Amino acid sequence: MAALNGWWDDYFWGALVIFQVFFCSLGFMIIFGLLGAIAKLSANKLAHKVANAYTVAFRGTPEILVILLMYFGSAIFLTAVAQLFNPEVKFVDIPPFWAGTIAISLIVGSYATETFRGAFLGVNPGSIEAAKALGMSDIQTFVYIRIPEMWRIALPPFGNHMLSLIKDTALISIIGLNETMFVAKQAITVTGKPFTMYIVVGAIYLGFSTVVTLSVMGLEKFGERTTAGVK
Amino acid sequence: MSEQSKKYLIQMKNVDKYFGEFQALKNINLEVERKERIVICGPSGSGKSTLIRCLNRLEKHNKGQVFIDGNELTDQIKDINAVRREVGMVFQSFNLFPHMTVVKNLMVAQQLVRKISKADAKQRAMHFLERVKIPEQANKYPIQLSGGQQQRVAIARALCMKPKIMLFDEPTSALDPEMINEVLEVMVDLATDGMTMICVTHEMGFARSVADRIIFMDLGEIVEESKPSEFFGNPKNERTKNFLEQILTH
Repeated sequence: MAALNGWWDDYFWGALVIFQVFFCSLGFMIIFGLLGAIAKLSANKLAHKVANAYTVAFRGTPEILVILLMYFGSAIFLTAVAQLFNPEVKFVDIPPFWAGTIAISLIVGSYATETFRGAFLGVNPGSIEAAKALGMSDIQTFVYIRIPEMWRIALPPFGNHMLSLIKDTALISIIGLNETMFVAKQAITVTGKPFTMYIVVGAIYLGFSTVVTLSVMGLEKFGERTTAGVK
Repeated sequence: MSEQSKKYLIQMKNVDKYFGEFQALKNINLEVERKERIVICGPSGSGKSTLIRCLNRLEKHNKGQVFIDGNELTDQIKDINAVRREVGMVFQSFNLFPHMTVVKNLMVAQQLVRKISKADAKQRAMHFLERVKIPEQANKYPIQLSGGQQQRVAIARALCMKPKIMLFDEPTSALDPEMINEVLEVMVDLATDGMTMICVTHEMGFARSVADRIIFMDLGEIVEESKPSEFFGNPKNERTKNFLEQILTH
């Protein structure tokens, strides 16, 4: 344990990075998932095809590969653009934080697309008809009826998606994000104690995922308050 | 807008409706005056529900014209929403919003569609909950109510929009027998109050006592249209006679 002295503050900042990545990617993941689900359910053939291509591509490739492609792909593109204006430029990238956040949001968003699609289909069509008959517009029906009924159905699988997000943050260390995995690797080169350093990382991730799991359980309880016993 | 279509609150002219190849409505002509109470009956699959669902565009008619208070129902979403504001509908399966309390169920469309303030919407909601005799259930969720109570909430929800017309699509068919009366009482109360109503129902007692006119449908057509006394006492069409024999002797 003495080997950990001097590394606690690095772990703390690393944990904070996990938290930030999780929070940002959660927002993006919901947006990607909703857009994907709406596109898949829309009558527009092009939107449908684009959404299908999206879920096939991002669910069918290794996550670490997507992160690498996202980071180096954007860096090559940005460098080429920058060199058009200034040939002296050697390398331009987007920060690993954002490249990684967008990458894992896209990956988990592709799973969320299917979750949301199924949940939208599970909304009672009678509720939608009632809203229409009351003169509510499509947008009002979406915001006040479809979404509130849909999230209750989507919540259990959605909890799993949130856990995936948490765990995927560990992969972003590969492109140089200084989260806890990155800290552990540095600490290991100095102290030569891999087990100790990695077990701390494990404890931090377990802490995060426990909080998420408990929050989902709380939300499920809140949702069931109104629909308990609905067939 | 013709003079004639203004005279009637509802007018259907030569309306046809298809589901794919199947013709659900055949050349429907129907005029309903203000304060008239119409009961539509007929065997299942005869097009009764489809007919009233065409009146607020939950189904789109394929041919002919539908006028509500002089406004024609067209593909224009503006016209459709304008008509829907004036036409209240009560469904067989209640269709309350499960995630909202009873009082919120009554308030949401008032606030969003009628742009009424929260306080006024709540006041009106409580007024109509009292009218259907369940103000004490205001803060419960629909699932906590009995079927009869849920249907009364659904009627109150439609009334909160101050509609000119109320459509009832088999409002008592999904209810346990002991709950049918509490819903029928509310409907009789509305009828006495002068509401223009079209009810699809198998409750012949209600039809006999409340309806100004009974419409009998079969195979997508209006077969017979008459006053209750004539309809029950002296039905003209063979199909009507058969239908009445079946439902009145069970």
